[in-house]
Amino acid sequence: MSSSLTCTKLTLFTVAAILIQIIGLSLFVLGFFPVKPALSGVSGPESFQPPRYCVVEDQNVSNLPPDQLKSLYQELYEIPPSFDRLILMVIDGLPAEFVLGRDGRPPSMVFVESMPYMQSLLASGMAVGYHAKAAPPTVTMPRLKQAMVSGAIGGFLDVAFNFNTQALLDDNLIRQFFNIGWKMVMFGDETWLKLFPGLFTRHDGVSSFYVKDTVEVDYNVTRNLGDELNRTDWSLLILHYLGLDHVGHIGGRSSVLMGPKLKEMDEVVRMIHLSAQQSQDNGQGRTLLMVVSDHGMTDSGNHGGSSYEETDSLLLFFGLKHKPYDYPLVTHGTINQADIAPTLALLFGVPIPKNNVGILISETFDSLTDEQRLRTLELNSWQLLRLLQAQLPGLSCGSLSLDVLGDDQWSGITKCNGSDDEIFCCLFVKAEVLHKSWKAKRVSGSTSRDEYGNAVMAYDVFLQAASEWLSRRTTYKPVGLLASGVAAMVLSCLILMGLNFWLDQEVYHRNLHRLPDMKDNVHKWHVDEIYVLVIIFILVLSMGSSSMVEEEQYIWHFLTSSFYLIILRKIVQFLVIGTGQGLFTLIRGQNSRSYIQIFYVILILMAGRIMRSWHQGGVNWAHLPDISKWLEQAGKDYVKSIQLVSWLLVISLGLYSLLSFQLKKYSIMVFGFTFSVSGVLVLQQILNYQDTAFAASSYAAVSRVQIIYALLGLLTFGAVFSVPWLIPVPNPKTASSHDVRLSNNFLVDIRRKFLLLGCRDSTYVIGWAYMHCWCLLQLLLQQPTNSMPVALLLVQILASMCYSSNGGQHLKQWVEVAALYYLGMAGHFALGNTNTLATIDVAGAFIGISSHSTLLSGILMFIITYASPMLSLLSMVMYISMKETCSLVNLEDADMGHFLKMTISFPCLVPLGFNSILLVAYTIVLLLMRNHLFVWSVFSPKYLYVCATTACVYMGVSVVSLTAVYTCLVCAWRSGTLRCSIRDESRGSMGLQ
Amino acid sequence: MEKKTKTEGIDAVPSLSPWKAFTVHLICGLGLASALWVAHKVYSIDLISDPSYTLRLIWVFEAPITILIYSLFRKNPKQCSYWKAVGQGTLGLLVGAIVNVLGAIALGAPVGINYFLKTVNWSLVMSLFTVVPAASVYGSSWMDWQRIFAHTKPSGSIDYMICLPAHGAVIGAWFGAWPMPLDWERPWQEWPICVSYGAIAGYLIAMVASFGFTLLRREVRHVKGE
Repeated sequence: MSSSLTCTKLTLFTVAAILIQIIGLSLFVLGFFPVKPALSGVSGPESFQPPRYCVVEDQNVSNLPPDQLKSLYQELYEIPPSFDRLILMVIDGLPAEFVLGRDGRPPSMVFVESMPYMQSLLASGMAVGYHAKAAPPTVTMPRLKQAMVSGAIGGFLDVAFNFNTQALLDDNLIRQFFNIGWKMVMFGDETWLKLFPGLFTRHDGVSSFYVKDTVEVDYNVTRNLGDELNRTDWSLLILHYLGLDHVGHIGGRSSVLMGPKLKEMDEVVRMIHLSAQQSQDNGQGRTLLMVVSDHGMTDSGNHGGSSYEETDSLLLFFGLKHKPYDYPLVTHGTINQADIAPTLALLFGVPIPKNNVGILISETFDSLTDEQRLRTLELNSWQLLRLLQAQLPGLSCGSLSLDVLGDDQWSGITKCNGSDDEIFCCLFVKAEVLHKSWKAKRVSGSTSRDEYGNAVMAYDVFLQAASEWLSRRTTYKPVGLLASGVAAMVLSCLILMGLNFWLDQEVYHRNLHRLPDMKDNVHKWHVDEIYVLVIIFILVLSMGSSSMVEEEQYIWHFLTSSFYLIILRKIVQFLVIGTGQGLFTLIRGQNSRSYIQIFYVILILMAGRIMRSWHQGGVNWAHLPDISKWLEQAGKDYVKSIQLVSWLLVISLGLYSLLSFQLKKYSIMVFGFTFSVSGVLVLQQILNYQDTAFAASSYAAVSRVQIIYALLGLLTFGAVFSVPWLIPVPNPKTASSHDVRLSNNFLVDIRRKFLLLGCRDSTYVIGWAYMHCWCLLQLLLQQPTNSMPVALLLVQILASMCYSSNGGQHLKQWVEVAALYYLGMAGHFALGNTNTLATIDVAGAFIGISSHSTLLSGILMFIITYASPMLSLLSMVMYISMKETCSLVNLEDADMGHFLKMTISFPCLVPLGFNSILLVAYTIVLLLMRNHLFVWSVFSPKYLYVCATTACVYMGVSVVSLTAVYTCLVCAWRSGTLRCSIRDESRGSMGLQ
Repeated sequence: MEKKTKTEGIDAVPSLSPWKAFTVHLICGLGLASALWVAHKVYSIDLISDPSYTLRLIWVFEAPITILIYSLFRKNPKQCSYWKAVGQGTLGLLVGAIVNVLGAIALGAPVGINYFLKTVNWSLVMSLFTVVPAASVYGSSWMDWQRIFAHTKPSGSIDYMICLPAHGAVIGAWFGAWPMPLDWERPWQEWPICVSYGAIAGYLIAMVASFGFTLLRREVRHVKGE
């Protein structure tokens, strides 16, 4: 090992480790989260033939004109389509519970009264309702793209693409309908237009990104409806209503707007249904009206996860039957959302999309004859078998040819076992045989109801098994990619931790001779140092348990508070009471410092406890009372006063910490003034506009927010670029008054001092600007109830820094950096974040954005979600200046590299190292849990959060290091010119003498 | 020094024989066990069914035992009478309860009217495990308190008898809190049931360890003496 670790080497190693980590992470993500489905291409006429026959791709077929293709399908399908037209009405985010009730209980009276028409049709059996179980992630785009139109269950990364919709190129129903010449019309969510560009004859898209608008989005759909229902040229009409989802996002399930919105939806259904019946009576073709919702919502109106509330989406058929039932229907079946696609395909006589894993809903085919129903089951089975063959290359079923074995042998087999291949083959062949024998006997006229039932049952068993297996194994994971990704991440983790260790050795062990008071501190591990590592260890362990992942906020709070209790114990160790009655001023000074430290730690503990009770968070205990829920119930006035108090806290802390800075300079006052002005603007904004969240954001509000953004940005960048230049130079004349001779040594000394002081002062001001501007921004963006946790977090971080600056060398620097990092992570959960995607504050991401921009909203969403870790990372800049690092800097060689190494390497390397450990550990956990029941609902969202935290750490660390390097460069340059000027001056004075 | 103190009798011994330590621990352990037994047999309750009442039974049984026994081993028997040590122990019970409550709340113990009695009783029990023996023995000597609790550097066997069970109880309670957020839906996941279980387990284990340490130290001393 080389004798010293230079700054350049350290930087190079760190950057290399980060690059390796990024490469490893992207390899792993690409391998683990499937982006491509199994089969490419589009189903054609071959889907009406058994999969065993190797059909040569007929080029002519794909070039057939739509009409001929349609009749070809008709001919092959052997069943006339049950309907001529389809109206697909998507009500975004409507939980099936609102319409069908839950667990056999009817829905609550409010909802029943809001939807009189739908309820009457359901009661009379004219409408058939299902709970359609949506697969996570329950966000709109994957639900539309996979479940409804292609029947596939897709990868998790679709969430990431939800905000960046792209055309759907895989086999899907809309494309199939287009191919047989259907004219299609779409009104509503423009996601459809992005998924299927150019397929719709007429369309009127609305943007789903203005979450606060609940009226216009739906009006824009309904206004086209009357006109369109009178036309007869279309075969598919898609209506996608977004308003209900927006109502949920704003006010949750029990929002006051929910009732009127449901009533509006009921009106639309009534209008469509009556018009459809009328046109049918006029002989204009049979129309099927299907009302579906893409996902449900939690009590607070969010969605994305996999709780019952979120996955419980709705499927209603209107027009399957025209006569009311004799008895009212009370129970409603449960299906998978993926079942919609094959059902629609078979109802309208188009091939089932290739990647479908759904099963047809048998009740919808009640009007068909037995033969036709068996045919639909057969087609569905063929399609699934094809998909199975793609997944299991060994599955050919060729050896078990139907003709070889007699019928009797097959019908006798009741149980299939063996490997996956064998089971599927056996089940499929059994169903085929039964079907065939039923057909044969039907020709001879000796069919029995029993045999038909057996055949249907055999098909059902096969379909169920195949569908289940396929949806479980939608992902093929390339081992090589995963292994190399994990290996790269492990390597970078080792490099980063090695650097940390090396640096620790370098800083504390090599410099022993200069730090005699640290001698006893160095050689053994202290409780606090061990505990910092124990925290990481416990976190790694707890990640393996799904309920610990769900309730991670408890772990962070518990561990962080325990850490500060241990620090409290450490302070008490240095407290001297009783001996000598405080005779020595040294002891007295030590004691008063300890008392101040105890005060700070208790402040941190108290603030942490309040923050913990602010959001109960989590998944299992989310219903327990907490302060934020109480505030929401208590009313606007309480929320306002809390906001006001936290605003006052942030502003006064900001001004106080700026004014308590040693340097009182005009330029510093300018920063304080700008800060106050933007603070006042933020206050005005939160007091005036946040209560009118229901209204669409007005132009004035948007422009005011943009002014605040500009001011805060100006303040931050102004501080970064100007402060290092403005920090006053220590006057060499006053400094030299004590010194008699102006030697070269003295010049070096002055230069070193300036480098130190200049850097310290400018990082203080820049760090101040970072932290407080960030907090003001958070006050503006976060939900109103979250303002207090933001202010408390600022208190915690400032207190922790004051503690460090008073602490002398009690704690090693890396322990203090780790403490700040932990505070940031605990604060992340105290702001109401959890490891489910549902708690991401979507509504806040559109504050101050005048035109729709995915990028800007994404950035805002990231700023809101990662408020707390980012704040703790930004605070490192200020921490550098608060910590007395001067004693660590070698007196002899005060060059810039050494100085930088001593100041910023720990604040950068410790978060990077810890984060890399967590990333690697969690990656391995995810790999181990890939077959776990909760892999998509618990572990994968958590992994996305871990990745985003990694990105956050990268950003924070690069901001810290760039700021420090820039400041140091400027100071060094100025001290260089300073030296010249001093030299000139000294020459001049020499000359005078 | 050792021989001198040994000849002066029990009251003057700052460091006592392993078997005495064993007896003290045994009595404390038996007090705990009898409290739980009485709760089970007489009142037919346990920590899970009625944590508040059971914890109260524990501290009612354990408080006189702990205070009276540890006051025998007070540090300066000359300057400090037996009853003064008992008074110090009683005061320590209250002060220790407050410290324990604050610590538990800082770590996330629920605050609320319906948890009030449970928290109070739990903290009294914790105070008996942690603070009371030290209060009885050391009184208000800051140096000793700092040595035992801040530095964890016990020197004599009495130090071990106080220091190890106290730390054991705290660490046990800390580990006992871990199952609380899990979704197992067991009744014992409630505050303060599993924390009390953890504290009791830690306390008992640490008492055994303390006895072991006293034995070990004695043997080392014997070897050295020879």
